[in-house]
Amino acid sequence: MLDQLGLGLNEQEKAKQQMVLQRLKERYHNYSDPWGFDLNTVGKALSILLPIYSRYFKVRVFGAENIKDEPYIFVSNHTGQIPIDGALITLATALESNPPRILHSMVERFLASFPFLGDLSAQTGSILGDRENCKWLLNKKESILVFPEGVRGISKSTSHFYELQPFTNGFYRIALNTKTKILPVTVVGAEEMFPLVVHAKKAGKALGLPTLPISANLFPLPSPIDIYFGEPIELPEQLDAEAQDKEIRPHVHEIEKVIKGQIKHGLENKREFLEPLKRPVEFISRLKEFL
Amino acid sequence: MSEQKTKRVLIIGIVGGLAQITARLLLQNHPDWEIVGIDSRDTNRVQNIKGLKTITMKYSRGNFEKIFREENFDIIYHLARFSHASLGAENLTKRLELSVMGTNRILDMGLRFGVKKIIVLSTYHVYGALPDNSIFLPEDSPLKASIQYPELLDVVEMDQIATNFMWKYQKKIEVVVLRPSNIIGNQIKNTMSRYLQNPLALRPVDYNPMFQFIHEFDMASVLMRSAQELPTGIYNVATDDFVSLRNALEVVGVKGIPFSMALAGPLNKFLKKMNIKIPDYLIDYLKYSCLISNKELKKHLGENFYRFNMEETLKLLRA
Repeated sequence: MLDQLGLGLNEQEKAKQQMVLQRLKERYHNYSDPWGFDLNTVGKALSILLPIYSRYFKVRVFGAENIKDEPYIFVSNHTGQIPIDGALITLATALESNPPRILHSMVERFLASFPFLGDLSAQTGSILGDRENCKWLLNKKESILVFPEGVRGISKSTSHFYELQPFTNGFYRIALNTKTKILPVTVVGAEEMFPLVVHAKKAGKALGLPTLPISANLFPLPSPIDIYFGEPIELPEQLDAEAQDKEIRPHVHEIEKVIKGQIKHGLENKREFLEPLKRPVEFISRLKEFL
Repeated sequence: MSEQKTKRVLIIGIVGGLAQITARLLLQNHPDWEIVGIDSRDTNRVQNIKGLKTITMKYSRGNFEKIFREENFDIIYHLARFSHASLGAENLTKRLELSVMGTNRILDMGLRFGVKKIIVLSTYHVYGALPDNSIFLPEDSPLKASIQYPELLDVVEMDQIATNFMWKYQKKIEVVVLRPSNIIGNQIKNTMSRYLQNPLALRPVDYNPMFQFIHEFDMASVLMRSAQELPTGIYNVATDDFVSLRNALEVVGVKGIPFSMALAGPLNKFLKKMNIKIPDYLIDYLKYSCLISNKELKKHLGENFYRFNMEETLKLLRA
């Protein structure tokens, strides 16, 4: 059906999908987890998401060579109103790292309880964001993806795009506890998927929501995405996982600094996207080109 | 040397399938032990187990006092649990009276009449099936079952009474609280065994939770070994293996009828009108996983204390 809509895999994507899936099968044929990971579902998800990844968001990946064959806690900035950035980083690690790997992203409780979606995300390797769950995966030498900004990261109004929110310390304690290196990741381009957003936080609070985003568009625009994988960050040997916040904080600040630097670099090298919006005819022709 | 001495054992709830397997195992392994099984149900339903004495009695204070005073027990197995399916949520008061007050009486009399050890069968249901459950919950996890379903209040209360008593009197009497995951088998008649034994069963299409199953024989074996090998404490009883509900149905050979859990609540209300009673809280166990850790139990019983793995346990349901 996707083929009929012109959204199916082209020859190049098909070859890539098959190669990656084959290598994932070699790596994960004996793997099972208590959330229901299923390689067949991963294969189907790749078929659906690969054209969106490569043709809609035209994802470019930098620094994939920094991902070695060892477990990491991937720590990323969080942008774009909806957590598409997580799916794109997960796809990038499956498609671009050598050997391909499944990156287990943390999902919010509401998603885990959602019919179909909760099951589907678990089958593709996502898990409920919980310390014990993270430790279990890291002890199995799997890698996880965390967004230490939390919901604050994706719920920013246009005027605050790309402002990195302060990280929480939890991920660093997990890293210390499991002796897992941190791999900084930066996504640039996701904020422009919803270019005009205002967060009516007071109105949201009155409705019992953390925030109420009001956006000019309902669906994400095809903003080109750049993903930067930084160099792995070693952990201090003498620091204990139960150390006081004041001892943990400087290390977390260092990671924030690395990601802020990547954001700055990414914004300087970002592909133009919003400019064609001022020329609607050209913008529509670009959309047609994709479809 | 005192370990070799004949022990006098009371099993409460002997009509239950698990209690009978436990009695049989105890007598096979300790032929010199004297075992009395009691139940408020008709004990004529108990299989003929050589060496087992059975008594049908109401679980009243007077009856308990009489039997405790006369029999001088060393070990008590409290395996009497009251089915939510047969009594229904509307009978919470009655269940509280039976489960909670009954447990209180048994513990109290155990202490008064010099019992050495009480083994209480609780359940992993006390943790609750919630979307934000961590995996492999340890024994000190909060008991959240009754937050969502007040009908589980008696189960949680019974567990808490036993554990509070355990810590309070730990120097006077040994108490072991067991919280097993799903026990299945041909001799026990719980909801999960019946669900998996049906030729047709509703298979959720929108959720696929993970389960741990223990064979009834393995559970009875843990109960038997609790008498001498487990010190005072709370122990989850589960396998290392886990299986998704859909795979479990496949292994057991049940034809799953695709069904959305969104319809489970209304369907259950309808079934209740038809006098088919399925506890409401079980619906959440068909949506969300509640996997428990068996680390504490392994410390005392060793790494491989089960006879049947998950696949064998499921297949034996059809044997």
